[in-house]
Amino acid sequence: MTTLSAHGISANLPSGFEGRIFQRSAVGGEVARPVAHFATFPLPADVADFGAGAVNLMAPQDIFSVLFEYGPESLGTALFARNGMPRQLTGQDFSTITLRRGIPSQSGTQWFFTESGRPFTLYVVLGNHAQRASLVPRVNALLGNVDVAQVGSAVP
Amino acid sequence: MLALICVVTVVVVLLAVLVAGLLRSHADILHALHDLGAGVGDPTGGSVHDHATHDHAAQPVPVPLHMGPPLPGERNASSAPDLVGVSPEGDAVAIGVTGVDRLTLLAFLSSGCATCAEFWASLQDPVSSGFPPDLRVVAVTKGPEFEIPSEVARRAGGRIAVVMSTESWGDYEVPGSPFFVLIDGRAGRRIGEGVANRADQIADLVRRAWDEERPPGQSGSTSRAAAVGLDGKEREARNDQELQSVGILPGDPSLYPERHEDLFATTSSPSPTNGSGPASPRDQTGTKGR
Repeated sequence: MTTLSAHGISANLPSGFEGRIFQRSAVGGEVARPVAHFATFPLPADVADFGAGAVNLMAPQDIFSVLFEYGPESLGTALFARNGMPRQLTGQDFSTITLRRGIPSQSGTQWFFTESGRPFTLYVVLGNHAQRASLVPRVNALLGNVDVAQVGSAVP
Repeated sequence: MLALICVVTVVVVLLAVLVAGLLRSHADILHALHDLGAGVGDPTGGSVHDHATHDHAAQPVPVPLHMGPPLPGERNASSAPDLVGVSPEGDAVAIGVTGVDRLTLLAFLSSGCATCAEFWASLQDPVSSGFPPDLRVVAVTKGPEFEIPSEVARRAGGRIAVVMSTESWGDYEVPGSPFFVLIDGRAGRRIGEGVANRADQIADLVRRAWDEERPPGQSGSTSRAAAVGLDGKEREARNDQELQSVGILPGDPSLYPERHEDLFATTSSPSPTNGSGPASPRDQTGTKGR
C-alpha cells in the first residue's frame, strides 16, 4: 500500500486509490484547515474542498472521498458529538440526495465526528448508486486505513 | 670505456630488480584472485595439489557483483510503484498507477533541463500533441530538495499533474531527464520506458502501445480510430477507402444484412437472395454506402 501523510492525517491507500492532503492558504481572517481528498480517478489539480471540479469527472465505478477538518470551536458541539470516524459504511448510508452537487445516478453520504480531539466531516460520493454493493466495500477499505493524529502530534 | 661498462651494468641490474618486483606483484594478484575463486576455468576444479600447497585451503568465495546503485528491494524490470511526493504547491500527493483501468505515462522531467522544455509545453495538452485520449500523463520531478517548486509550478502551468518525488526517481531508476515510463494500470506493470528528444516520438510509441494493450471495444468509450487520431470525416473517409479496396461500393447489399447468415457470408459477392431481393429502404435514401 502507498502511504500518504500530512497535517496529522495519514492513509494507506488501497490499490487504485490516489490522494491529496493539503491546507489552503488563508484568505482574510480565516484560518485554513487540513483537507484530504481520496479518489479512484485522476484528481484535477484544482478541486474545491468538497469535490467541485472532480465529481463531474467520475465514472460509474468511481469513488470520491473528502476528510475536512473544522476549527477547535466546533469541539463539543452537538454536530460533532460522534466519537470516531465511521469505518464500516453500508449501502443504506448513501443517498442520491446527499450530494453537494446533484449529479444523476451519483449518491453520497456525510458524517460529522470528532477523532483524536479534532472535529471532521467525512463526505463520500459514489459514481453510481446502483453499484453501491461493489463500491461501498472499497470505501470501507479506504476508511479502515485512515488515521488521524492528535493535535499535539500533528505533522505541520 | 670502463666507466661506460659500469653504468650499463648498473642499469641492467636496476631493470632486473624492477622486472622481478613486477613479476612478484603480478603473482600476488593472481594468488589473491585464486583465493577468491576467480580465474580461468572452474575455480572449484583445482587439483588436490593446488589446494595442498596452501595452508588455508582456498574455498571459492561468492563475490557479489554490483553495477550501479543498489536496487530497491521490490524492483524488477516491470515493477510500477505508485508515486508519493508533494505538489509544487506543497500538498502531499499520492498517485496510484496500478490497479486502475488506464495507461499512465510518467514523464520524469526537471525544470532546468533544456530538452525538457518542449515536453513541459507539449504535455499541457497531450491530445493535441498526438497522445491518445484517456491517457493519463504525470510529470515527476525530483523533490523540493533538488528542485525549485515555484519554477516547477510555472513549467506545469496548472495543467499537468505533477509529483515532486526524489524517491520515485529512485524507484524507477531514472538515469536522467527527460525519461519516460508507460504503465498499464490494469496489468500492473510498466510496458515501456526510455528517452526521447521530441514529444511526437513519445506519442507515437504510446499510440502503438495503446493499440496493442487496448484493442477496439475493450476499453471505455474510446475507439481505436479515435486513439490513432481519426474521427469524424477523416474516419469516415478511411472506412470508405477500405471498403472500396475490397470491392464493397455504396449500395452494396452486404452493407444492409437482413439475416444473421448475411453477416457471416464467406464471399464478398452478394448472395442470390440478397442480389435479387428488394433493396433495403436505406438504399433508397441516398445513405452514403459504408
